[in-house]
Amino acid sequence: MRATRSRRAAIALTGVLALCLSACGGGDTGESGPADLKMALWSSNKDHLALLKKVGDAYVAEHRDEVASITFEPVTNPDYIAGLTTQIAGGDVPDLAWIPEASGPEFVDAGVLHDVGSTLKGADGYDLDDILPAALAPWQDEKGGVYAYPFSNSPFALYVNEDLLKAAGQPDVAALVGTPDYTWKTIADIAAATNSKTKAVGLNVPTFNPTNWSAVTMLGSAWGAAPWSEDGSTCAFTSPEMIDYLTWYQKQMSRGAIPAISGKAEPAAFASGDVAFSVAQLSQSGSLDSSFTWSFLPLPAGPKGYHPIVGQAGVSVLERGGHKEQAAAFLAHLTNPTNAELLAQFFPPPRKSLLNVKTLSQAAPKLSPEAIQSAIIDVVPEASVKPQHPVLSQFSDKVRAGLDSVWSGGDVKAAVTGICEQISPTLKG
Amino acid sequence: MTAHTSAANDRRVVPKPRPRPDRGRWLGVAFVAPQVLGVIILGVVPFLFVIWYSFNEWRPLTGEREFTGLDNYSRLFADPTFSASVVASLLFSVGVLVLNLVIAISLAVLLNRRMRGITAFRTIFFSPVVVSVVAWSVTWGFLLAPDGGINGALQLLGIDGTSWLADSSTALLSLVVVQVFKGVGMNMVLFLAALQSVPEEIREAAQLDGASPWRSFWSITVPMIAPTILLTGILTTIGSLEVFAPVQLLTDGGPGNATNVLPFFLYRTAFVSQQFGYASAIGVVLFAIILALTMLQWTTRRKWVHDEV
Amino acid sequence: MRSDASSAARARSRVTTVTLYVLLVAASIPFLYPTLWMFFSSFKPANEIFLQPPTLLPKEWTLDGIAQVFTAQPFLRQYGNSMYIAVVVTVASILLSAMAGYAFARIRFPLRNAVFTLMLAAMMVPTEVTIIPIFTAVKAMGLTNTHWPLIILPIFGPTAVVSVFIFRQHFLSFPKEYEEAARLDGVTRAGVFFRIALPLATPAIAAVGIMAFLRSFNMYFEALIFLRTPENFTLGLAITRYQDFYGEQMWNTQLGAASLTVVPILVVFLIAQKQFVQGLAQTGLKG
Repeated sequence: MRATRSRRAAIALTGVLALCLSACGGGDTGESGPADLKMALWSSNKDHLALLKKVGDAYVAEHRDEVASITFEPVTNPDYIAGLTTQIAGGDVPDLAWIPEASGPEFVDAGVLHDVGSTLKGADGYDLDDILPAALAPWQDEKGGVYAYPFSNSPFALYVNEDLLKAAGQPDVAALVGTPDYTWKTIADIAAATNSKTKAVGLNVPTFNPTNWSAVTMLGSAWGAAPWSEDGSTCAFTSPEMIDYLTWYQKQMSRGAIPAISGKAEPAAFASGDVAFSVAQLSQSGSLDSSFTWSFLPLPAGPKGYHPIVGQAGVSVLERGGHKEQAAAFLAHLTNPTNAELLAQFFPPPRKSLLNVKTLSQAAPKLSPEAIQSAIIDVVPEASVKPQHPVLSQFSDKVRAGLDSVWSGGDVKAAVTGICEQISPTLKG
Repeated sequence: MTAHTSAANDRRVVPKPRPRPDRGRWLGVAFVAPQVLGVIILGVVPFLFVIWYSFNEWRPLTGEREFTGLDNYSRLFADPTFSASVVASLLFSVGVLVLNLVIAISLAVLLNRRMRGITAFRTIFFSPVVVSVVAWSVTWGFLLAPDGGINGALQLLGIDGTSWLADSSTALLSLVVVQVFKGVGMNMVLFLAALQSVPEEIREAAQLDGASPWRSFWSITVPMIAPTILLTGILTTIGSLEVFAPVQLLTDGGPGNATNVLPFFLYRTAFVSQQFGYASAIGVVLFAIILALTMLQWTTRRKWVHDEV
Repeated sequence: MRSDASSAARARSRVTTVTLYVLLVAASIPFLYPTLWMFFSSFKPANEIFLQPPTLLPKEWTLDGIAQVFTAQPFLRQYGNSMYIAVVVTVASILLSAMAGYAFARIRFPLRNAVFTLMLAAMMVPTEVTIIPIFTAVKAMGLTNTHWPLIILPIFGPTAVVSVFIFRQHFLSFPKEYEEAARLDGVTRAGVFFRIALPLATPAIAAVGIMAFLRSFNMYFEALIFLRTPENFTLGLAITRYQDFYGEQMWNTQLGAASLTVVPILVVFLIAQKQFVQGLAQTGLKG
């Protein structure tokens, strides 16, 4: 009796172990012959993946001797960069990866990215000069190396819920565009008034949470505020411009124009209809339907004028990926003018030749031609990216900790002084 | 349970001759080998590596590693984030320890009686133990939000709530509460078992002597469950110093560094800031703190625990 | 003595009983409410989650949130991952820690106490501390983004020491007579363990089994470090990754996924709660 029981247990155990062996055995990677390319990306959107797969499969069909397969793997870590760097540090290096602009210099500096300049230049019909200089700049070094293609060059814009503003008896904001009154001050006043009349959220930066503090500091460029000096060596959080900007932001929070933040809980989404204004990228328009009237406007002006901002994601070839040449060749194919136009339906292209209403209407079919002209085509050529820094990840958490007291109504001057004290040694390197 | 006890008693009644030293010693070695080797390979050796790493600067992204001696430690002790992190860890740990033991013992005392429905209450108090820490934390995140359930309930009472997780004076306390309600059921059950082994006669005798329930609790019950207090105290302390998921899911260490407890600071330093050497130094200090607090509880046990564990 | 209690005393005791119930019901709220709220909110439309004033029950019941649990991620596969890992870990933990606990309690061998002390000391090394060398080792073996580290670490690593400790405490009180009688019948030492001591160790097996299962099923930190692709995710990790294509949190879906991971375990617990709680109560942990 006992014996049979223990035998049964042994059988069960063996079965379980066998199950485990079969389930967790990792696939091995063949080194010789055509390469199996892997591309890590942020998006897990099925349509994005399907389109990329289509381009990839077509490429594989034409280049069977070089590339056996191309897989697109979303990195699902909410902190994309932490996920990607952990993956790279773990030796599981993708051949291509989508790199957000803020981390670009860090990756270039660490020697992680492969210089694809000559491959792109040499590719048939590629026309590297077609790429907007402002878009390519973050990925170039002084020696002329090109470390990524600015795959998605998506401007930040102001989404406006017109129904909500009307209900709150507020003026038509779209009519202000192009006039001197189209400023953050006006927008904030309307946001505050809408909030107090309707309880709806006034002005929202949906990607903002304390860890992603740069989503807020980037808007400071309209105040002339930058977090650090151009060369990255000096902390500029204590600059009068930044203090002005943060003080303004804090005041908007305290009067309800901008929602207060709570830990990691996010405020209402613009798509819910309970938000008057939202600073977000082009792709957000995909989540909106016609349940309320909305418009898509360029970012307003601050005390230092208009400062359009783009959010970028570069696609790079990784130095340690093992199939650099094949990967670079595929990158050149993926981002050539023909495919860039195809990808434009999801990823705003950095190419001058594609910066027209016809191409961009595909990217955002819900936008009017006027909106595309004023909020994209007119702003993208001179737009800048978020401030970058080669050791950003080493001090980002310290800035996060310091800014928390600004978000909760603490003294701005004390907070920024603390931040500079903490990060200056790292910036000086 | 009773079968065991009576058998154990019999053993004392009928003394047996000492068995010859048996050849089972190799069996003993074989039996402990998997776990002992496992603990050595997966615990002791990695920890020695951590000590070694803590003397290096190491950026995993590039793979460059360089011996820098005590640099990481001098940097660490000058780093205000680190001191804030130690404070957060200690406050969290003390908060969890005190609140957990007080609630666990109170609930155990309340439940240690025959009454209709007592099992149902025991089940309720224990249920968060089987809920996954991620589900539990995520749910509390909603409840603690400024427009979440807790402020909603407070509003009904006419109290204006705060943004619990974003307010530096309440964030750590909120995490303590989340952690305590998650795990206190386990300790409650252990205390309940301990209380049930306190002979009824002793307490009744004390009551006949006119001792108040409060007094008899302190003079009779507490000493009898002292070994359990010690053991659950140590395990709860270790567990609270290892807290990670609620912090990552609820506060990201903020606001400021109010909830930036050591394991979370270590994780961010290693896997987000990509500084393996510096993170290793944090790990060594974290271990030292756990060791010190455990030793503190263990060495003072003679003062208040009469029974050996 | 009880029989001649005055009616005043009886009334007083009734008051005490009522007070006690009120107290217990009040104390139940923080334990029960979050789980109930999580469960019911997964049937709310997303925009009702933060509705003011907050409600427990949905105003409008919908299965939209729950339905997306399965489409936004390979949730069933993730469920299977967590389940099989937890089962392997539980079975192996019971067997190995029972062997070790038995040997530490009942078999004399060289350095026994020293080794046991070392084990207890290792218990104080949190996984977070040793994660870097373990991560590099896992990387060197090419096992990142596999389930191996999630299986091996809890079975053999320092977290298993508690299980060994529970079995040791249990076997310390295991009557010697049983062993001696069996050995007189010619049963080997190993036979005594496998055929007599282990089958009689049900409370300890229950305790270790429950704890190992819950620990593995709820594992988060290790999964966060080692797993990368959704197909390999375990549930804890999966719950945190419910975002729509625009990076917005899918609140009701997330709560639905959380409920689906919690409710089956809770139901098992409710059915077997007596054995569950007694198993834990009878561990050596009570001192």
